[in-house]
Amino acid sequence: MAGSLNPKTEEIPKEGNGPTDEELVLKSQQGDMCAFDELVERYHGKIYGLTYNMTSNREDAEDLTQEVFVKAFEALPRFRSKSSFYTWLYRIAVNKTINYRKKRNRKRALSLDQFDQEIKADETYHDLTAKGSPLRNISLSELQEKLNEALQHLSEKHRTVVVMHDMQGVPHDEIAKVVKASVGTVRSRLFYARRQMQAELTEFMK
Amino acid sequence: MMDRNNNPETAAEDPADALLRQLFHLKVYENPDAARMIRNKQNIMRRVREASSRKHWSLADLLEVNIPWFFTEPKYGIAALFVVFAGLQYLGINSRNASQSHTGIYTVADGMVAFEQHTAVSTNTISYPKLPDNLSLFPDQQGDSGVKFVGRIEPKK
Repeated sequence: MAGSLNPKTEEIPKEGNGPTDEELVLKSQQGDMCAFDELVERYHGKIYGLTYNMTSNREDAEDLTQEVFVKAFEALPRFRSKSSFYTWLYRIAVNKTINYRKKRNRKRALSLDQFDQEIKADETYHDLTAKGSPLRNISLSELQEKLNEALQHLSEKHRTVVVMHDMQGVPHDEIAKVVKASVGTVRSRLFYARRQMQAELTEFMK
Repeated sequence: MMDRNNNPETAAEDPADALLRQLFHLKVYENPDAARMIRNKQNIMRRVREASSRKHWSLADLLEVNIPWFFTEPKYGIAALFVVFAGLQYLGINSRNASQSHTGIYTVADGMVAFEQHTAVSTNTISYPKLPDNLSLFPDQQGDSGVKFVGRIEPKK
């Protein structure tokens, strides 16, 4: 189960490994619900991961994931394949999440998913909790909470690039297409977002 | 703050950034409950089916699905519309000419319109003997007054 939200471990099916996105989109546009079901199956984890990390609230993330797919289904006849389905869906998800947060006035308590038990077998976890690490005396849940709080203190545009790049592994050029900015702008946002998060977490680790 | 080369990516390699990356990496293990995710997917498909059943396809939707190039490349769309318009005009002109040449009302005749005789004869009229229209009363005498009887001789009933 670990890594189910991680695009690096969740390969998009290519030719020879089921129908391509283009084929499924075309079938869905012609009213084939099974094809759309397949698209939901394929991208549900990614979209949930994006909305969850953008909101740090699992109930909001579930609602938003539903909204994103319903919106995508309704807008599918107007999808013209200028960009990939994946980019188009991410754009819907980012816009929906930003609008949702604006409506809710950004004041939502954290509601976080549990860590998998497999985390204890992860090398990074061992490094972070080893003797000499600044985080050795901090519990995992405390760390999780602080990390999500720091994430929520970022502006929408900065959080979007951090979540997409550092948590979901989306490349800079894809992020640029999603947020409709240049690759340079994306890199710059990423740089400043990381600096801001470092500043927040350093304060916490003192 | 960027490094000497003003490259944010190179600057991101410092220990603080490495620590941040490690923390982000741990979020990979922050996973939702599988049962909740299955329910969420089911809810999505239920809502999608509801949306599908109440959806009324407009002409624009059908066109966009069936001929997407029409909207993707507006110049070709406009060109196609012009061709359709010109085609309809051509067909309209042809059909007008065809109607003028084939229907009886608009028949073009070179000379006078010739009525067929049998259609003009009524069936219940009496036929009369053929007589000259003017008869002289005193044809062989001198001093012809020039008065002529103009009349019609009818048979006894």
